[in-house]
Amino acid sequence: MFNTIEDVKAALTAQEYIASDEIATVLFLAQKLGKPILAEGPAGVGKTELGKAWAAAVGQELIRMQCYEGLDETKALYEWEYAKQMLYTQLLRDKLSQVLADSQSLTEAADRLASEEDVFFSERFLLARPLLKAVRSEQPVVLLIDEIDRTDPEFEAFLLEVLSDFQVSIPELGTLQARHVPGVILTSNNTRELSEALKRRCLYLYIDYPDAEAELQIVRLKVPDLAPKLAKDAVALVQRLRELDMKKRPSISETLDWAKALVMLNADSLDAVTIENTLTVLLKHEADILRARRALSSGRLGNDESGGRSGMVYRGLN
Amino acid sequence: MEQRIIDFIAGLRAAGVRISIAESADAFRAVGLLGAQDRDRFRVSLRTTLVKEPEDVPTFEQLFPLYFGNDSPPPMASASDELSPDEMDMLAEAIRQFTGKLRDMMERLLNGEQLSREELEQLGQLVGLQRADHPALSQWMAQRMMRALGVPKVRDALEDLWEMLNKLGMNRQTLDRLQDLVQGNMDALEEQLERFAGASIARNLTQEARPEAGPDLMNRPFRHLTDAEAEELRKQMRRLAAQLRSRLALRQKRGKTGVLDAKATIRASLRYGGVPLELRHKQRRLKPKLALICDVSTSMRHCAEFMLTLIYDLQDQVGRARSFAFIGDMEEISGPFSELPTQRAVEQVLTQLPPGYYSTDLGNSLDTFSKRFMDAIDHRTTVIVLGDGRNNYNDPRTDLLEEIKRRSRRIIWLNPEPPTMWGTGDSDMIRYLPIVDSVFEAGNLAQLSYAVDRLLTS
Repeated sequence: MFNTIEDVKAALTAQEYIASDEIATVLFLAQKLGKPILAEGPAGVGKTELGKAWAAAVGQELIRMQCYEGLDETKALYEWEYAKQMLYTQLLRDKLSQVLADSQSLTEAADRLASEEDVFFSERFLLARPLLKAVRSEQPVVLLIDEIDRTDPEFEAFLLEVLSDFQVSIPELGTLQARHVPGVILTSNNTRELSEALKRRCLYLYIDYPDAEAELQIVRLKVPDLAPKLAKDAVALVQRLRELDMKKRPSISETLDWAKALVMLNADSLDAVTIENTLTVLLKHEADILRARRALSSGRLGNDESGGRSGMVYRGLN
Repeated sequence: MEQRIIDFIAGLRAAGVRISIAESADAFRAVGLLGAQDRDRFRVSLRTTLVKEPEDVPTFEQLFPLYFGNDSPPPMASASDELSPDEMDMLAEAIRQFTGKLRDMMERLLNGEQLSREELEQLGQLVGLQRADHPALSQWMAQRMMRALGVPKVRDALEDLWEMLNKLGMNRQTLDRLQDLVQGNMDALEEQLERFAGASIARNLTQEARPEAGPDLMNRPFRHLTDAEAEELRKQMRRLAAQLRSRLALRQKRGKTGVLDAKATIRASLRYGGVPLELRHKQRRLKPKLALICDVSTSMRHCAEFMLTLIYDLQDQVGRARSFAFIGDMEEISGPFSELPTQRAVEQVLTQLPPGYYSTDLGNSLDTFSKRFMDAIDHRTTVIVLGDGRNNYNDPRTDLLEEIKRRSRRIIWLNPEPPTMWGTGDSDMIRYLPIVDSVFEAGNLAQLSYAVDRLLTS
């Protein structure tokens, strides 16, 4: 558990996650208030990473639930393992006939069978899915619900119930109450509007692209082999590329991939040829690549020392 | 402090941010934990608990300094600290050239006197600060107050003053220092005014609670909407879309138990040794393909706007939508919707198509449509015509509508006029009526959303 925001920051940094003051504050509040975090922002800015770093920082298990269209309760909460039940029934057939052998009437046999019902509807045959796992866990856990915006609205409503009181009812077993309130983080790429009720329950965290300084810090941390000067230039270029009107702007993970590519290629400076050869690591749309090339060749994204200024010039032209 | 936060929340609500009681309670708990000493953390703890939409963040950032700004006025410096007694005499002599308000103001700037509370209030009254109700106005209001103080004239007069001091033989460096000092005081004055304007606007916002768009507004006919009411409704659109969406989704979920899917059931039964424990059903869900044909002439503007907003906000419930607009001729308007957020796209489309009063001609528009855009329609497409059917006595070209009907799944007509008006005057509605599959009256937002709901489910 964290006592101050500085603790949070330090713990996340130890997990190689550079947290802004804002992220650290929200995380701290989420722990203290016992509320889920809803992290939104463009793809690839480290929303999922935050969940992983959080779990690692507090030394708890991370339970991850990846959302997709059509995800339902049986995939998210629990499912009875019919196949196993069936197998047990068949293997236990002899024992069953023994138990039922001396019953006088059909009713008595049925009653006797019913009294043994618990054998077949016990936790033994319960296939726990992420949500149930988080509720039943002996140890406190961090629950990462990834890309919640991909699920259907009705699943969101169901999730809401679970998140508000952390208990799960299973008709055959009764209600299971969470032993610890797990830390919950939901991520969304904002492809669809989430319901207001869900947002109300959460602390809201918008993670945007980092500024040059923070991004440089991340690159240094994750790709330490890259020469400092080169790292600085690379980050400056990515920052300026983000200012262009792109279909998909390069994210942090793409910056890191690019940095790794530069290390692989043993690049010692960002000359036109190197950029040309590696641009596809950063940009994933043909139109974006063309646009970046045009901007590069016209010198508006030139890799000169006055990096900040040429960025400004471009913004002016925009 | 607590009162201040409550005021702030009221201000946010007035600026259109939706905040529930639970959320404001969270905000207090968060502030209770972190305190308000560290301004940045204080801001983050309020923002993370209160603001849940990225669109609302700018509003928050604008309002926050108005409520939790620095209260003490910015410091000013006095010329007497900088100048020797001789130089002070020189200044006094030079300034004697000026009279009245101009001189008062110059002396104030030279002495570094701040405006008193009363003076600020008076200035505010003068420029209409009590009616300002938007955070972005604070800078503009400050400039108006500066003008009311006669600052532009004072600037000119100061130039004269510098000249005169120069002639009187004041040392160049002292003069530069003096100029810097006055400029500094001027900036401080402007900042003081801006803060005052900001605080007043914050107060105005808190006091003025905006009425919610109730059922009343939903039922107000489109043609009777005032601009303010239309604006209010626009703000409600997203919520309306969200409501419709969850209703649709629920209905589709319940509608899943369709015909038995034998293949999938057998496949599923393999897990259980051939016993069909799990029954699989065919998904009946068939997302409709839409082609919208909207009349965007003056009488239809609001209706078309809301219709387009709804359809594109519900894009995930729709397979594919293409839209067309007409007044005298047909044009495709799908373009902007693929790039911009819905409301901005609608705005752009409507500004590109200037409203016309007398030129509505559906017949001619249908002609263009059949020549250029028939590829938009196949047997899965639902065609939605949004129009009042008033053709200015032009040929209605019902033959073309029939052609469209033949190629499409169905045609639905939304008409903002009540049925009693159909066929009167230049309305050709009665002649279109036998061709279309169903007609909805869509004279207000309630009727429109009902129509959209129906057309996306059936």
